[in-house]
Amino acid sequence: MTKKRKAAKTSTSARKPKRAAMRSTRAAMSVATSARGTVKERVAALAEVPLAVCESDKDLQAMLKVLRNKDEPVEVRLAALQSLAAAAFSVIAFESCRSDYIATLREVAEDPNPEIRQRVLGLLAREKDGFAQKKLLEGLKNPEKALVPPEKALQLLSYDVHAEAYSLARDIVSKPPNADAKREALRLLAADATSAPLFEKLLRDKDESAEIRQISASALHALKPEKLQEHAREMLLDKSEYEDIQATSLTALTQFGDDAAIADDKALLKSVDRLSVGKASSKYKQSARRFLSKYGQ
Amino acid sequence: MLEVVTTGAQSEPQFAALVDALTADRDRHEQLTDLLREDHSLYDQCGTATIVRMRGWVLLALGRAGVSDASLLFVLEELDAGTDPYLVAAAAHALRSYPRPNPALAPFVMRALTQIRYRDDPVSFEDYGEYAVASAGTSPVRELLTTLAWLGPHARGVLSEVESLRAQRGGLSRKLLIDVDRTLEAIRGADQVDEFDTETCCTLPSGLRNTISWAFSSRRDCEPIESTVFEDHTGELITFKEFFRGQPSIVVFFYTRCDNPLKCSLTVTKLARIQKLLEAQGLADQIHTAAITYDPAFDLPERIRGYGQNRGVRMNAGNRMLRATDGVNALRRHFRLGVNFIESLVNRHRIEAYVLDAEGRIAASFERIHWDEQQVVDRTIEVLKEKSDETMSEVSPEPADPTARRKTASLMFATLASLGVAFFPKCPICWAGYLSLFGIAGLNQIPFSPWLQPLLIAVMLINLGSVWLRGRLTGRMSGFYLVSAGAFAIVVLKMGLGWEDAAAWGVALTLAGSLVSALGAGNRPAAMRALSVPFALFARLVNSSRGDSPNDVE
Repeated sequence: MTKKRKAAKTSTSARKPKRAAMRSTRAAMSVATSARGTVKERVAALAEVPLAVCESDKDLQAMLKVLRNKDEPVEVRLAALQSLAAAAFSVIAFESCRSDYIATLREVAEDPNPEIRQRVLGLLAREKDGFAQKKLLEGLKNPEKALVPPEKALQLLSYDVHAEAYSLARDIVSKPPNADAKREALRLLAADATSAPLFEKLLRDKDESAEIRQISASALHALKPEKLQEHAREMLLDKSEYEDIQATSLTALTQFGDDAAIADDKALLKSVDRLSVGKASSKYKQSARRFLSKYGQ
Repeated sequence: MLEVVTTGAQSEPQFAALVDALTADRDRHEQLTDLLREDHSLYDQCGTATIVRMRGWVLLALGRAGVSDASLLFVLEELDAGTDPYLVAAAAHALRSYPRPNPALAPFVMRALTQIRYRDDPVSFEDYGEYAVASAGTSPVRELLTTLAWLGPHARGVLSEVESLRAQRGGLSRKLLIDVDRTLEAIRGADQVDEFDTETCCTLPSGLRNTISWAFSSRRDCEPIESTVFEDHTGELITFKEFFRGQPSIVVFFYTRCDNPLKCSLTVTKLARIQKLLEAQGLADQIHTAAITYDPAFDLPERIRGYGQNRGVRMNAGNRMLRATDGVNALRRHFRLGVNFIESLVNRHRIEAYVLDAEGRIAASFERIHWDEQQVVDRTIEVLKEKSDETMSEVSPEPADPTARRKTASLMFATLASLGVAFFPKCPICWAGYLSLFGIAGLNQIPFSPWLQPLLIAVMLINLGSVWLRGRLTGRMSGFYLVSAGAFAIVVLKMGLGWEDAAAWGVALTLAGSLVSALGAGNRPAAMRALSVPFALFARLVNSSRGDSPNDVE
């Protein structure tokens, strides 16, 4: 067999699976975009096409139409969104589709269906899209205009530290619409250096929930680690402190503490020693023993 | 440049109205450029997305008013290092209003095209702050291609890159490929460009200077920030004076949360390359390097250390990553940093690198457009050589800067005045001494008026006070003790007890003490400054009465 023939054969054999794949994509797209198919069939078909969607402008437009069409079943629209998001993940292959995709997401961001709204805003927020940030901030300032619940808006805004959400988050912490919103606001503020005093206050507030206090400890570790060390020590010396917070304090000191200072701190070692044999849970005692073994007891 | 006068924080509609008013008034077009300064008060406490909307609107306004040489730098900066689709699109749109299309502009447009093509989001230029919700409008790639077409034959230098963009399979969308074809046609078009190219190729307008150098004599003193305390990547504290005085330094600014890979991340990576260049030339020990964070509240030592390490920065005593623990605002003012904040977080900044001389003064700055590492190293070597030249000519420095001249004059005046007081004849015997010294007349011929005595005593006390003050400042009290002994001899022993010999001792001691006080501190500049304090204060009072505040001097 000549080289030419060999090459031609190889080329033909290489084209075969591609053609088959194209046929399969076309068939899947046909099912996915046809209103005659069942929801289940269409969702399954949409799951098959994500990476191929950008190869044909016609397919892309058909998929975007499904997403935009409010008369389509929500499951099908969500599946279309899922396929598009998966395709967009491959940035280079998706280059020619991006403009239409982003425009469609912005259009659907105000969809009547809350789940679609939330998913779409999530995708845009990950792109640090100014349009999505503006809508989310507007919703936090004016709940009547909110496209998603405040806790979700805060979570989505936290994808970008440069989104101007800190002052709104502080307002929500001081006057939370619900416990989830307060928690998300604090998570967002964990990147704000000026909020360190707020976290110190919350960490020491025994009326706050354990979750809020633990978020505060974690935020303080990121913003002012030396302050967390100070408070952790004081909380371990405080006999009236809750066990879970003392466990958090023990972890903070064991993992990030100043070894020399802690080893010399007789009062602290004595206090932890007492905790290691007291009525505390076994997990807590284990943490205490780990701490003591590290610091030479 | 004129500053747009604003009162307090403006809302976005107010800002848009201001921009529109400036655009409509031909005489105020230059103020649009002023609005693009990152440190403009209008951007203070705005979020990044808001600033994108604001600056985008200014760029579009420049497009309507016409980009001048002064504003061109801002437009090209956005093309060079911008990653926001709206701003890049607006900059490309604005560039087309520049009256002198130039082949040197094409690489900026092509670079922007390469950088933004994977973020080709739809944008709208219709109204302030509007986001496109349909892809029918424009986009950064479309604007950049249109700008390349506008450059036409001037863009021949990037023709092969545009062709390769066209040839890529599965790259740009079909709609954009039509634009690419149109651009290629425009670039390949007219033939009259060849002659034009040879004249203007690769020369940018005079307004486009991203490098500024200051002559030795005209550099700003770093005194206002000498005491600024930094914490380095290891947590060690060091002042500006301690780290930056004594040898030239290269300083860049950055912050770890910067999400533009073409700014802070690249800047710090380039600093690492600079360090390698210095090392290759055997200059690593003679030149310090530093990367200072804009965001000291968040950028703790561990963070800046990791950030530097990940970008290959060498860190040791002469090469540090720094965060200012106090005096951040003074630092911002001194370097005139192109940065603004929302609370403590940076909301927008430019690219900036500085070369400092051995006195810690800014000798050169590299701003906005990406700088070349070798260029920075070359400039630093010039500054290093200048340091050795300065050491050789230290005997008779001649400051050309008016501020330095004023300071030298103040020092000289103070020293002369001090010596004048010391040598002023304070009693008849002094007069006699002087006259006999110069051989003019005998003691008998000196007219002595008793009313002169209180005046001379007052002068003697002034001298005593002056010498005491100098003694306290320099820590050398020997002069004061001698002058005190002289005063005691004249007033108590001569005038009080009538002991005639004491007068001569008194004069001698006063003279000796004054000389010791004035000259005894040696030639050290600090001692000379201390010596001149009372008189420098007087000189400052004179200056301030003329309207020069101490800050102006700085």
